[in-house]
Amino acid sequence: MPGKPLLKIADLRARVAGKNILNGVDLEVGVGEVHAIMGPNGSGKSTLAQVLAGREDYEVTGGEVIFDGRDLLALRPEERARGGLFLGFQYPVEIPGVNNVYLLKAALNAKRKTAGEPEVDAYEFLALIKQKMKFMQMSESFLTRGVNEGFSGGEKKRNEILQMLVLEPKLALLDETDSGLDIDALKVVAHGVNSLRDGKRSIVLITHYQRLLDYIAPDRVHVFSGGRILKSGDKSLALELERRGYDWLQAVQVA
Amino acid sequence: MSTAAAPPSAALRSFEAQWRARAPDPLAALRGQAMQRLLALGLPSSRDESWRYTNLRGLAAQTFVEAPRITDPAALRALPQSWLAGAAAAPPIVIVNGYPEPTHAPHGPPQGVEISSLRALPLRDAASLLGRMPPQGDAEQTRWALLNAALFADGLYVRIGAAVAAPVLIVHVAAGGAANATVHSRVIIEAMPGCAATIIEHHIGAGGQPQLCNSATQILLAAESAVEHYRVFATPAATTHFDALDVRQARSSRCRQFTIVLGGGLVRTNLDAHLEEAGALHETYALLAGNDARHVDCVATAVHRAPRTTSRQTARAIAAGTSRVVFNSKVIVEEGAAGADSRQSSRGLLLAPTAEIDTRPQLEIHADDVKCAHGATIGRLDADMLFYLLSRGLDRATAQGLLVYAFLDDVLTGMSSAQARERIEDALIAQLPDAELLRAFR
Repeated sequence: MPGKPLLKIADLRARVAGKNILNGVDLEVGVGEVHAIMGPNGSGKSTLAQVLAGREDYEVTGGEVIFDGRDLLALRPEERARGGLFLGFQYPVEIPGVNNVYLLKAALNAKRKTAGEPEVDAYEFLALIKQKMKFMQMSESFLTRGVNEGFSGGEKKRNEILQMLVLEPKLALLDETDSGLDIDALKVVAHGVNSLRDGKRSIVLITHYQRLLDYIAPDRVHVFSGGRILKSGDKSLALELERRGYDWLQAVQVA
Repeated sequence: MSTAAAPPSAALRSFEAQWRARAPDPLAALRGQAMQRLLALGLPSSRDESWRYTNLRGLAAQTFVEAPRITDPAALRALPQSWLAGAAAAPPIVIVNGYPEPTHAPHGPPQGVEISSLRALPLRDAASLLGRMPPQGDAEQTRWALLNAALFADGLYVRIGAAVAAPVLIVHVAAGGAANATVHSRVIIEAMPGCAATIIEHHIGAGGQPQLCNSATQILLAAESAVEHYRVFATPAATTHFDALDVRQARSSRCRQFTIVLGGGLVRTNLDAHLEEAGALHETYALLAGNDARHVDCVATAVHRAPRTTSRQTARAIAAGTSRVVFNSKVIVEEGAAGADSRQSSRGLLLAPTAEIDTRPQLEIHADDVKCAHGATIGRLDADMLFYLLSRGLDRATAQGLLVYAFLDDVLTGMSSAQARERIEDALIAQLPDAELLRAFR
């Protein structure tokens, strides 16, 4: 693998409500790479995403995570975000009373401030948002609504991708962004993700199904089970999983 | 167990002394009745149901003096100004220590609104003033209103005789002048049939000396009239404030009321809304901000007395520091009020483990065919919402402030006066962490 990886996870272990969920995760993601983490429900994929984003009620019990040369686990969630880590939530929360656009603007300005850049101009910002919204095929009513307020499942996922496009993270962790989407919405979301794929940004797709990978071709595929990565391979692994199911791998592991 | 009344408290004796020192006026009979009644009943205590969260024992042990009338122009000019001044088209009508200051309103109220001093009114027509005073009751909630009736020196009568667009601002200034100075201001608002206006009462104060404000407002809505009323409490922390608001609504009248507490050390507000004729609509919104060691106790009662009357009670309370916020709402549907429709929504947000919020919606129904709903929740900031905002790079103080602000949205968006809302939001934001950042979100 050329150069230093953007993300290096070594023997990461974590506990939620007293229960061990992550049991020694090892993963390296290079700059510009797209990885897919696949696995059955309850295998700990989402927990990995939440731990990396800094969810406080998830207790890290061991291991190390280096992101962009820094000790990620020592940073607060907001510092991780400003440093270029983005989590696309599986279940984006509704926040009535906090406007979508205000949140985006605050998020962008927080990132710019950290980078020593001036605040974004209000006019330019609105133009940027409108352009990205059009790209994501979102209705203008989004501008006046509360964060995810009354959004359908598909709208919430589009909103996550919109935020990602505006914030242009170094690493995007997309947690089941494909779940609950019809095929048209899935294409829009995939299109959004692919547009960020410029060789400089890395993407980790967490998904249960192979479907999304028809539209976003990953460089590496990892199978997650029992709180760690069981097997890694290229995109043919995803196809094999689709054909043979997760049981096959788990059986291999036991044997 | 003794049934004999407890001896009057030091506070009550000092109020009685103030009453005895007054020169008789056309309202002397009414004042005497009110004072005698209060002497017989005593000040409310935590044994009274609606006062159980607000302990007045310390207050009852103190003595109080009448706040002086301030006449020195320089002293008047030095008084604090209302930050709501820009919300009204005309300069505010200022009441200092209970006395209207005509010099403060050289241009007068907007067309269609007539304002006179209560002191001038009884000379012309004592009976008409007496007819507009709320009936005196024994209720524990209105005990302080009895004292106001006995001791108010002057006040305002506001007559709404047209549909008036520009808000009218009345500023009550507690100017102190002595320790434990007591101010009893009174306002009577009357909307004539089919007329409408927005009236804002802003309570502010000067100085760090302890003082007691005991204000009372009466709003009379004739058939098909509409009043939007704000009472905004923003006195210094050393001020104890009791406020009584009595609303009487005739056929198809609409009253939208906002009770906003952003200041004061101890603030107890009372609202009694009487839906006396068919089709009346009453909406009250309370925004109660507990900060530092503030104690806020807000009581709102809506009485449905006629068919097809509607009431909405919405309260949002936040409590930080060691503050305590109490909100009790009550809906009473009397016999004969068929088709009554009421909704009570009380929500509290605790911002510190040392703060406390208590809320209790109550319902008393004596009629059939009514629709009454209520909900009450008290909680902390939602961890999922907070994490979502943090994960987008917002710092913790801003994220928390935004969520608090969002929590109050239901009350703020109810305000139809954009100018008033903007200023109230500004004052509110100043009490939240990271005020400067939050301002940028507006």
